[in-house]
Amino acid sequence: MTRPGNIYKPVKARLTDVIEESPLIKTFVLVPEEEFSFKTGQFIELSVDGIGEAPFTPSSSPLVTDTLEVTVMKTGYVTEYMHNLKPGSFMGIRGPFGRGYPVEKFLGKEVIILGGGCGLAPIRSLLYALEAVKDKLERVVLCYGSKTPADCIYKPLFSRLNSIDKFETYRTVDRADGEWTESVGVVTTLLNKITVNLKNSVAVVCGPPVMMKFGTIRLLEIGYKENDIYLSMEKNMSCGLGKCGHCMMGEYFVCKDGPVFTYDEIKDTPDIWK
Amino acid sequence: MKYFSINKEDWDRTLEQLMSSYLIFATVKNEFGIDYEELTAETIADISYNIPKPATPLKNFFLPVKENVTSDRDYIRKRIIIGVPNCDIEALKLLDEIYFDNDFPDIFYREKRENTVIISSDCFGIQEHCHCTSYGVKPWSESGADLAVVKKEGKIILRVISSRGNEFLSQLSLVNPLNDNKTVAEIEQEQLNTENLLKEKNSALPDYKSTGRLVNGAAEAVWKKYSSTCVSCGACTTICPTCTCFLLIDKEGFEKVKQLDACQYPGFARVAGGEDPLGELHRRFRNRYMCKYVWKPVKFSSIACTGCGRCIEACIGKINKNELFMELAG
Repeated sequence: MTRPGNIYKPVKARLTDVIEESPLIKTFVLVPEEEFSFKTGQFIELSVDGIGEAPFTPSSSPLVTDTLEVTVMKTGYVTEYMHNLKPGSFMGIRGPFGRGYPVEKFLGKEVIILGGGCGLAPIRSLLYALEAVKDKLERVVLCYGSKTPADCIYKPLFSRLNSIDKFETYRTVDRADGEWTESVGVVTTLLNKITVNLKNSVAVVCGPPVMMKFGTIRLLEIGYKENDIYLSMEKNMSCGLGKCGHCMMGEYFVCKDGPVFTYDEIKDTPDIWK
Repeated sequence: MKYFSINKEDWDRTLEQLMSSYLIFATVKNEFGIDYEELTAETIADISYNIPKPATPLKNFFLPVKENVTSDRDYIRKRIIIGVPNCDIEALKLLDEIYFDNDFPDIFYREKRENTVIISSDCFGIQEHCHCTSYGVKPWSESGADLAVVKKEGKIILRVISSRGNEFLSQLSLVNPLNDNKTVAEIEQEQLNTENLLKEKNSALPDYKSTGRLVNGAAEAVWKKYSSTCVSCGACTTICPTCTCFLLIDKEGFEKVKQLDACQYPGFARVAGGEDPLGELHRRFRNRYMCKYVWKPVKFSSIACTGCGRCIEACIGKINKNELFMELAG
């Protein structure tokens, strides 16, 4: 996707739709001006003209190549500008970058996914990729946690997934309202609801750092092997090229060596949960 | 190695002629020591040969502090850089690994590299903080540069290091092969003298292998102690020949300006959610050491320090990394 010759130059993409997922989270539907494809779990650098760029893992299916969806939480300077963009405007894309989810390694297995907050964005893309190979999978379980029912994103996704053979979903919120009928509590409590086949199971965790930490600890307690836990790490991936240094996590450039790592690969690296 | 020789007057005249097709930069004495200057016909005679070491690192020629990396590139004029110490040549090898990287080659870096003839200068003598030999770096170049220069008794002696160097010399009519074993032996003796001076001066300093181990095992109290006078100015990383971290700044029209950055600046590693693994001063301070002596050698072929000592000279907090290492070594 990065223009041949210049690794720094973004490709323009037209914003065709903006979907409000929650009060703080929007999904941007983009049509890149040049051919674009990515592997699920890889990320892009998305920019607002003249303002700045930030790393996001697309939330759309890696099998769809004419449009691209990126889900963005309003959490800082650049994302605030993004949230003010209207359909018809243009954004910049560089990438795709990094190592995504190794879907081929999941074949024949059960995949347990822990997602928190906006961490469901990369996971949605993974779910699309898993759906495409569902015949070769044992089972896919999504456990998702958000702060409140209003913060739950991709609401239609859950009923759709539940209708797919081999897929199950569970949701929980930290604070329920009167209409909430599902679980209340942190996302790891959802793991108590399911029985896993440890001999043939992999786990994927994506969410805020604190959730990633306690999610991983719980999976290890349950008995998951360190190399069966896949973590999508969040660091300051600024260039995406393994050069600018901002995302260094020990000897790793998260942008190039990750962002998806097994826990085994990074367990001895300092500050992984910061 | 092949040596060539040219009379100093002929060399100066040759450089003047080369100015029509090259920009020539060379180490020249100034009130603070020596540094690179763009030469004019009048300043060719001011070139300082074989004296360590230019105040600024070589990287500035290839990684400018600020550079638009999306606009159309200017026509690049060929350059010659004369007087590069081997500590900077060794650092350039690491920059090459980062910027020539097969996955994401940087065309801006490549163009500058391909259009520059690098003439290294053997260091005859040492400066207060020079300690290249502690990290396996010699005070003269045998690889990485195109040529190496020694000024000796009214002559300029050139050692061929690369094929580009060889090609460059073949254009120069007044340069002749040096068939004088005595001169070569004298140069080699001078090189060894400098090496011995460096080894003697830095005999208490741990070598690069033990430095990595010591840094990795150092207690938090050590980092707090040595960072107590650090003001996060980033002088150490700016002056470092191997530090290349940068920031991409967005300009209108989806343009990007690449600007030198430093892990010593607050907020360097902060993410949008507010988490910042390098939020505390002593953690940023430690990061530079971990990066250079522990992490970079895992990823690349050497540690990211060539013992130039510039970070010690540049520090306004008077922090001396070698004192830290010696304390760790006990």
